[in-house]
Amino acid sequence: MSAQTDLEDLLARIVLRDRAAFRALFSATSAKLFGICLRVLNDRAEAEDALQEVFIKIWNRADRYKVTGHSPMTWLITIARNHAIDRLRARKGGGDTSEPDLVVADPAPGPEAQAIAAGEARRIADCLGELDQSRAAAVRGAYLEGETYADLAARFDVPLNTMRTWLRRSLLTLKDCLSR
Amino acid sequence: MSDRPTISPDDSGKAAEYVLGLLPDAEAREMRARLASEPALRAEVLAWERRFATMAEQEVAPVTPPASVEARLVTHLFRDDARSRWYWSGLWRGAAALAMAGLVALAVMVYTGGPGSRGEPEFTAIIAAEDGSLQLAAALDLDSGQLRVSRQSGSVAEGRAQELWLIAGDAAPVSLGLLSAEAETQVAVPEPLRALFAGGVLAVSDEPPGGSPTGAPTGDVLAIGVIEEIQA
Repeated sequence: MSAQTDLEDLLARIVLRDRAAFRALFSATSAKLFGICLRVLNDRAEAEDALQEVFIKIWNRADRYKVTGHSPMTWLITIARNHAIDRLRARKGGGDTSEPDLVVADPAPGPEAQAIAAGEARRIADCLGELDQSRAAAVRGAYLEGETYADLAARFDVPLNTMRTWLRRSLLTLKDCLSR
Repeated sequence: MSDRPTISPDDSGKAAEYVLGLLPDAEAREMRARLASEPALRAEVLAWERRFATMAEQEVAPVTPPASVEARLVTHLFRDDARSRWYWSGLWRGAAALAMAGLVALAVMVYTGGPGSRGEPEFTAIIAAEDGSLQLAAALDLDSGQLRVSRQSGSVAEGRAQELWLIAGDAAPVSLGLLSAEAETQVAVPEPLRALFAGGVLAVSDEPPGGSPTGAPTGDVLAIGVIEEIQA
């Protein structure tokens, strides 16, 4: 929990253009975010470029962290993943699925939201484990490998609409399990 | 539970697909429009961002990025700033002194004709610490391979050494040797390394006496500077 407080403190200082805080944030989180860029892009040179761009975004957008209501790591991982997926899709020449717009949280009961997040963090591995293996693989494929419904349908050899029904059902099962 | 707004399974599924980037274009547009006016849907999008990020945080192993990423990042984000700070805050002490020294050096060189084709440096860099505690000016003459590094502020800590590194692109830093505690250090840059100065970065790391035992920087990066090419 204190690690989270430290990251929050660094992000608050980055909003004030504190470069030492930026470098401290880089040393604390770059390995995790680089791991994510590598997992998505599966190419070292490209992942390095992506990581650099991700941290430029973090420097420029730190003021928007608060309005999401996310924990620091959730916010940082979401930026890294979305940026890497954008690059992946640009490389594949696919449609211009640009990053989801920034979503602003409504003033929510903070402690409650934090309790929910903590509970989910404890349960996520178990809940993914409860899913059929191939369905968990589809969830990971979409989030961490940028697979589209067409990619997933080809991978699991099912019609596209079946794939969509299948994945949506898995996601709702996952959500139910997390909120149990 | 609580008074948080509820959401239908269909909308929750759509919110997840939106976060995953799976929605067909038309549905993604519709989703964006609805997000502007529907707080419950916004909350669900954020909840899915959190769930997936939590999965990634737990499942994806960290991988330390090469030092060149931080060096490029810092120089990209902060270099304009570093340069203007150098010009203005250091005007009386640093820049003026350097300009004078440069004029004197040039005059001496012109007067003596200089050895061989030795001329103006082709590459220069201001290697500076974030907080200004250490600043060095470096200049490379391509023909002779002489790199002159002048200490403008800061000193070598007692019982420690400062090592100079050349970082070119994505390659691992290459040591250019230890910096003298004196005002100036001369480095003979081997021919193959001279080609790497264009677009590269110079960095100074804190090392034990005698320099890095591993051949890669082991201590803190004390100062960083982008190499600038002097247009003839």
